[in-house]
Amino acid sequence: MIRLEKVTKIFGLPPKQVSALKNINYRVKEGEFIVVRGPSGSGKTTLLLSIGGMLQPSSGFIKIENKNLYSMNERGRTKFRALNIGFVFQMFYLIPYLNIIENIMLSPGIEKDKTRQSKAIKLAEQLGLANRIFHKPSELSAGERQRVALARALIHQPGIILADEPTGNLDPENSLEVNNILKDYNQTGGTVIFVTHGKDADRYADRILYLNKGEIA
Amino acid sequence: MLLKLIYKEIIHRKLNFFLALLAVTFAVAFFVSFFTANEASKRETIRLTRDMGFNLRIIPKGTDMNTFWTKGYSDYFMPEEYVNRFWKFKNFSFAHLTATLYKKITWHGEDVILTGIAPEIEPSGKKKTPMIFSIKPGTVYLGYEVANDRQIHQGDTIKIHNKSFTVAKTLSETGSMDDIKIYGFLPEFQALLNLNGKINEIMALDCLCSYNPAEQGSQLQMIRRQLSQVLPESKVIINTTIANAREKQRHMLEKYFAVITIFLIIVIAIWIGVLAMMNARERQFETGILRAIGHSGFRIAELFIGKAMIVGIISAVLGYVIGTVLALELGPGIFKITANAIKPVYALLIWSVIIAPVFSSIASLLPIMVAILKDPAITLKKE
Repeated sequence: MIRLEKVTKIFGLPPKQVSALKNINYRVKEGEFIVVRGPSGSGKTTLLLSIGGMLQPSSGFIKIENKNLYSMNERGRTKFRALNIGFVFQMFYLIPYLNIIENIMLSPGIEKDKTRQSKAIKLAEQLGLANRIFHKPSELSAGERQRVALARALIHQPGIILADEPTGNLDPENSLEVNNILKDYNQTGGTVIFVTHGKDADRYADRILYLNKGEIA
Repeated sequence: MLLKLIYKEIIHRKLNFFLALLAVTFAVAFFVSFFTANEASKRETIRLTRDMGFNLRIIPKGTDMNTFWTKGYSDYFMPEEYVNRFWKFKNFSFAHLTATLYKKITWHGEDVILTGIAPEIEPSGKKKTPMIFSIKPGTVYLGYEVANDRQIHQGDTIKIHNKSFTVAKTLSETGSMDDIKIYGFLPEFQALLNLNGKINEIMALDCLCSYNPAEQGSQLQMIRRQLSQVLPESKVIINTTIANAREKQRHMLEKYFAVITIFLIIVIAIWIGVLAMMNARERQFETGILRAIGHSGFRIAELFIGKAMIVGIISAVLGYVIGTVLALELGPGIFKITANAIKPVYALLIWSVIIAPVFSSIASLLPIMVAILKDPAITLKKE
């Protein structure tokens, strides 16, 4: 369960303050697929990063599994994120000098797992990357890169996937593939929060959260 | 995984790594060559200044200084045993202690100064090249005028007070009173002059390392005060010209090295810092994503410090080799007297391997802090 209570995020100082999130109250049940939609600057990414423990709200609180995320210290929050959350970004954010398997194994959630390499290979095969496992990100198509990023987010089997416009740089075919991977994960009981400003993921959503100017519309 | 990450990043950004390596290697090579050469320079300075002569003279207390300076030696005597007492006096870094006995005699109608010299004593117990000749019993060294006037050559036999001596050496012209001296083995000259167990001077070389030239007067007073406790029947004269020359030469070298060292450390530290900052900026999205997927700030620091350590270790070895080769190649041309003594200083390799990685890591600290403290959310939002 993810619970947002009166979450407000203000950037900058007076008189140039910008309210990215305004008094957001929201709950996400375990295993839900939530699509967050809204125009650019509506606060979608801010919301996602806040839920991911990377952006402390100016006020209010966020609880995951009854743990107040921001009452933990930075180290605790980082560890919590490593074990419970998987991030997927529009820009993939793969490490350019590591090959596909190394990028997948980069997740700290499986750092101590001695079978991590075989797990990473298996996951890469499941995501259609069997022939690419020793390639560098620069040698992959955009769709393949995003599948690698998804594999990295999924490898440690987190309870929550936070996806920030993961299909924003992909063609319809690859977008469909990424959406299906996330839906498959969701059907195994994982919670997905999917930020987008398109409507292509709506059909996978259990609920859609509309944001506009930092408020739930 | 950590080492693999560091290794792959180094391979990926070869130029950055190469430039960092170059900077630290240059610094280490400079220090190693400078230290190695500096050791040679110190030896050279010691030799050159030592050749200027003894700078400390201990003479009998009753000596009239006008007579002393007129004749060049004291008419009074003190026990030879004083040299042993002085030897046991550990407060100062004296070297080349030499007990001497001077006495003017008329020899073949001319005034000459018989100079009995005891073998030098080293307070440290170390073997050092003697400053003055080591004269064997039964032999003498003749000053230039003594030998030249009488056409005496090496190997000739001469008689002094009916005792025969072999001329072991005739000395070259010095332009000083030394040209009219006959040097001999102290016990033999003491017997010759009926002055057994007596000397009238102890010569020594004081390194004067801790001297501040501005406080020369008070330092001399201090030496006199302290020596008076162990050698009550003596007085001390310091040749301040020689002492100051030695002191100034050493101070000059030390200051010169200190200035260059500070300058170089600052330049190299900035160089490494800038490179590390560039590297940190270039890698900010990487560090952002590593933080986002749950790697700690400590892990990020490990990546940067690990790289800095690798740069430091490789540079230490490279720099040591380059610096030593430079010192061995260029040193002998500069330090001609002690050229053969220029040798690799292996301790510097150990120091280099310890200090270079630490230095490289310290120079990278600011960029590391920037990388760690930069909010990954802000970085990722910007991207």
